[in-house]
Amino acid sequence: MQRYLLSRVLQSALLMVGVLILVFFIVRLTGDPASLMMPRDASPEDVEEFREAMGFNDPLHEQFFSYLKNAAVGDFGRSLHYRSAAMPLVLERFPATLQLAASALTFALIFAIPLGIIGGTRPGTMWDTLCRGIGLIGQTVPNFWLALMLIVLFSVQLGWFPSFGRDSLRSVILPTVALGFFPLGKFTRLVRASVLEIKNEDYIRTANSKGIPERRILIHHIFRNVAITLVSIIGVQFGYMLGGSIYIESIFAWPGIGRMINEAVQARDYPLVQAIAVFSAGFVVILNLMTDVAYALIDPRIRYED
Amino acid sequence: MRIDALDRSNLNSPFRRFLKIILRDNAGLFGALLFVALVGLAVMAPHVAPHDPLQQRLGISRLPPAWQEGGSWEYPLGTDNLGRDMLSRIIYGTRVSLTVGFVGVLIASSLGLILGMIAGYVGGRTDSIIMGVSNLFLAIPYLLLVVVIASVLGRSLVNVILIFGFTNAPLFVRITRGEVLRIRKSGYVESAVAIGASQRRILIHHILPNLVGPLLTVATFEMSGMIFYEAGLGFLGLSVPPNIPSWGNMLSAGRQYIQFSPWIAAFPGLAIVVTSLSMNLLGDWLRDVLDPKIRRSAS
Amino acid sequence: MLRIRLTGLAIAVLLVVSAGIVVAGGQAETPEDATKTLRVAVPTFPNSLDASIASERNSQNVAWQMFDSLVWANDENVIEPALAEDWEVSEDGTEYTFYLREGVEFHNGEPFNAEAVVYSWERGIQPEIEWSDRWARADSVEAIDEYTVRITTEEPDPLLLGVMAQHWNIVPPQYLEEVGNDGFGESPVGTGPFEFVEWAREDRIILRANEDYWREGLPKVDEVIYRPIPEASTRMAAIQTGEIDIVNRLTAEQADALEDVDGVNVVTYAVDRTFYIAFNNLTSGVDEPTEDVRVRRAMNYAVDRQAIIDSLFGGRAQLATGLMTESNLGYDQSLDPYPYDPERARELLADAGYPDGFEMDFAAPAGAYTNFEQVAQAVQGYLSEVGIETSLDIMESGRYWDLEAEKQLPPLFGDSWSERSGEALPRLRGALGGWDASFSAWSEPTIDEYLDEISVTIDQEERAELYTELHNYMYENPPFIYLYVPETFEATRDNVVDYRPRAAEDYFLMFTDIQ
Repeated sequence: MQRYLLSRVLQSALLMVGVLILVFFIVRLTGDPASLMMPRDASPEDVEEFREAMGFNDPLHEQFFSYLKNAAVGDFGRSLHYRSAAMPLVLERFPATLQLAASALTFALIFAIPLGIIGGTRPGTMWDTLCRGIGLIGQTVPNFWLALMLIVLFSVQLGWFPSFGRDSLRSVILPTVALGFFPLGKFTRLVRASVLEIKNEDYIRTANSKGIPERRILIHHIFRNVAITLVSIIGVQFGYMLGGSIYIESIFAWPGIGRMINEAVQARDYPLVQAIAVFSAGFVVILNLMTDVAYALIDPRIRYED
Repeated sequence: MRIDALDRSNLNSPFRRFLKIILRDNAGLFGALLFVALVGLAVMAPHVAPHDPLQQRLGISRLPPAWQEGGSWEYPLGTDNLGRDMLSRIIYGTRVSLTVGFVGVLIASSLGLILGMIAGYVGGRTDSIIMGVSNLFLAIPYLLLVVVIASVLGRSLVNVILIFGFTNAPLFVRITRGEVLRIRKSGYVESAVAIGASQRRILIHHILPNLVGPLLTVATFEMSGMIFYEAGLGFLGLSVPPNIPSWGNMLSAGRQYIQFSPWIAAFPGLAIVVTSLSMNLLGDWLRDVLDPKIRRSAS
Repeated sequence: MLRIRLTGLAIAVLLVVSAGIVVAGGQAETPEDATKTLRVAVPTFPNSLDASIASERNSQNVAWQMFDSLVWANDENVIEPALAEDWEVSEDGTEYTFYLREGVEFHNGEPFNAEAVVYSWERGIQPEIEWSDRWARADSVEAIDEYTVRITTEEPDPLLLGVMAQHWNIVPPQYLEEVGNDGFGESPVGTGPFEFVEWAREDRIILRANEDYWREGLPKVDEVIYRPIPEASTRMAAIQTGEIDIVNRLTAEQADALEDVDGVNVVTYAVDRTFYIAFNNLTSGVDEPTEDVRVRRAMNYAVDRQAIIDSLFGGRAQLATGLMTESNLGYDQSLDPYPYDPERARELLADAGYPDGFEMDFAAPAGAYTNFEQVAQAVQGYLSEVGIETSLDIMESGRYWDLEAEKQLPPLFGDSWSERSGEALPRLRGALGGWDASFSAWSEPTIDEYLDEISVTIDQEERAELYTELHNYMYENPPFIYLYVPETFEATRDNVVDYRPRAAEDYFLMFTDIQ
């Protein structure tokens, strides 16, 4: 167990170094980060001055090492737009995103688990059709489109929920549904598949044939299998939701990092974009590490594979 | 010659199952037909579209769909804010979406196939490097990665395709490598080695055919994903230039009219849903065909 | 069995943690009580609340509720006293003496005096200040005594007072020294009608009425809350539901739709920006027919601009009569826009010796302005009707402006020019300064003379007269096809009174009340 833990931690650390490198080079894809970050109508003198100030005139390897050195202590430079250190801005905004993502995940789980189990245990019934339908719709309706529709229907027409902001519990509802709809579809499908799979495992059949009541089978085996499936993908799903929050937070004026990245991209504020990218990747990497560990605790077979 | 026989059965049986399931799985058939129809629309766009998708008629801007009051069958799905025919724009939008999806997947799967086979077959340090880089791309939240790269590179069809092609490759690398390792462990490659087949022959004749199935399934889902994400980039103003009618651009431009001329955003949204649906049904079906275990339990 | 419990535990923990985060993250609803709160939605949020650093219009608007300058430009763009009660200008127009208002305090209790003015200027001209060039219009700022300040300029500068009103936010020296520019931008202190309370980034900015404000009886409301809503359709929803009292940057179609909504007032006004098709007499237009004033007038008659406005902007724009707008000093209201008269255009062309018209190149930028590509195409169509065949090149705007700056565009090119100082001088200089101005392709001695005179005339009335004369001259001798002045669309709830946005899209909420 300890060896497994150690190797996973090491892997994650390596991955983060890789992320830092990748982010460094993405900003330099066009070759000239200075003209990328300056407004289009900036004069050549201004661009040159900026290039010098940002150190873009230094040899690439020097830029890279000073970037790594600063990144190691959490310094990602100053946001060009906000004129203050980039990383604290991200940290300030992250709780709002975490809240939204967590509530979207909760929403998805609360509906997906019962739906998937009902669908999976009774394949071919109306319930199953409903379950499959939700699974498909969740994965095919663009979340930004859904978000706009939710506002028109539930804020403007019915007046049930606020149309924007992060003021009260009620203002969490619409963004949660909009962001949680995709994972809802995904989870429903996964739960259903996982139930179907376990139903056909030999030991369940044996249990069935021995006349053990179905409810006990469900609790003991199906639920456990579903849990393993879900825990294993929650890290990945969280990454998806960080992406989806770019839309949902912008539309609902939710003060999180999704919206911040949209604005940073529009403002060509790449130091801030870098900070957000590294932070989100880091968060997902750590989350994956944690789920892997949890996974290994739940199911000790896992860590001997791979 | 035992090996050849094995090969054939391996190729044939999924194909037979294919046919069987076509005939009894309505959803899969529906998805497949829908997809074929969409491809047809894209190819035939200039012949099918009733109007020039770029032609503006300011006098009849924001005309509602034909079945609503004030609509006209001249413009069955109505017109947008500049009086352009919605139906024609949706039809032409199919071209952008399918091009992005198809070429994107082609790039991603070819790259993934080559790198994945190298990683799986050569192993050792090469494997570690390839897989390390792949995992790296998979570690960053996908949409975030795509948005950042798109903003750096700027708006163009080629950029969008390249971005999706490259950022999706790691997924294909991972799958290919996994399959290669699995097949290598299985008996018949070892038998092929035992009777002295060359490496190239083993790769091309034994491993490649076995990869087609799983890759095809993933490719279908990924293509659907790319179409989805292209619309997403369009919504943020990061996809193809605004003068090209793509569903993402149309949705993005139409969203400000959502309350009073909802069709301008609704139809491109619907087009995305339908396309995505068809590919998901198709993908599910392919997976069922290629993974008999789940199929058995589902029926 | 242990494993099963672990699983159940893991899921339970996950759900509880998520639910905990959900609940903890929600903040209390704003309590309903007697305080008058004005809720304002803005499309982008300030990068700084320091008016000298805030980069664009919306940020400036938020910041300026908390500051004062020495002078203030009223809604008619006339300069009025603010922190300075009075001032004198020397004979040669390069030396101003300001007599400051006594007994004014900053929100933190620091006294306002000459030292604060000098300090503010010394800070303002530092290169890291976004608007340092505006502060640098003054050559020196000295304290004569505690409430007297002398400001000198190198040349007479008739725009100085206007620029001061727009950009010189007076700051408290001690506080600024303590917190530095960054800290000041996050938590500013001024003398203005509202004081800073809280800034939750991307979420809200809360301002509270300054009880001791020197303008008696102002501000009218107790509290202002700014909310950033980037998505235009959400902004529209928020004003409909009444979650917001004032909203700006709507589209013409949204404004149309909101006209029918109960409880919402649409606010529409022309902004200080003009659109035009420019002629060239410096490079590509030399020896072309457009050097003849009759041809240029003919082309103004030839284009049905009202039809363009009606079809492309839903009628929501005004016809331009020159390069000045109604909000500019010295604008001549008596001038009627050129009517659409293709007959008159043909006559003028025949007079000039082009009865059959001529051919010419024409360019316009893509994606830079709302519907401008279509405007250019429409202009092309109308010109063709009187025999002027143009080949229209619609270019990517970045390249377009590069070429414009190098004077490499064709003899006809479309563009627009905005102005925030309330006077047309910077725009006129910029578009007509000939070789001296980077985006100009036109030079004419008469115009130069007017501009030179305006730029050294300090007296506002004399300057207004010169502008009026120039406006008339340019009407008769048009260096452009004058197109239109666009409008901007905002909305308020109908219990909001005295929200008075101005042509530069700025406003002062101290006058605004809620009923």
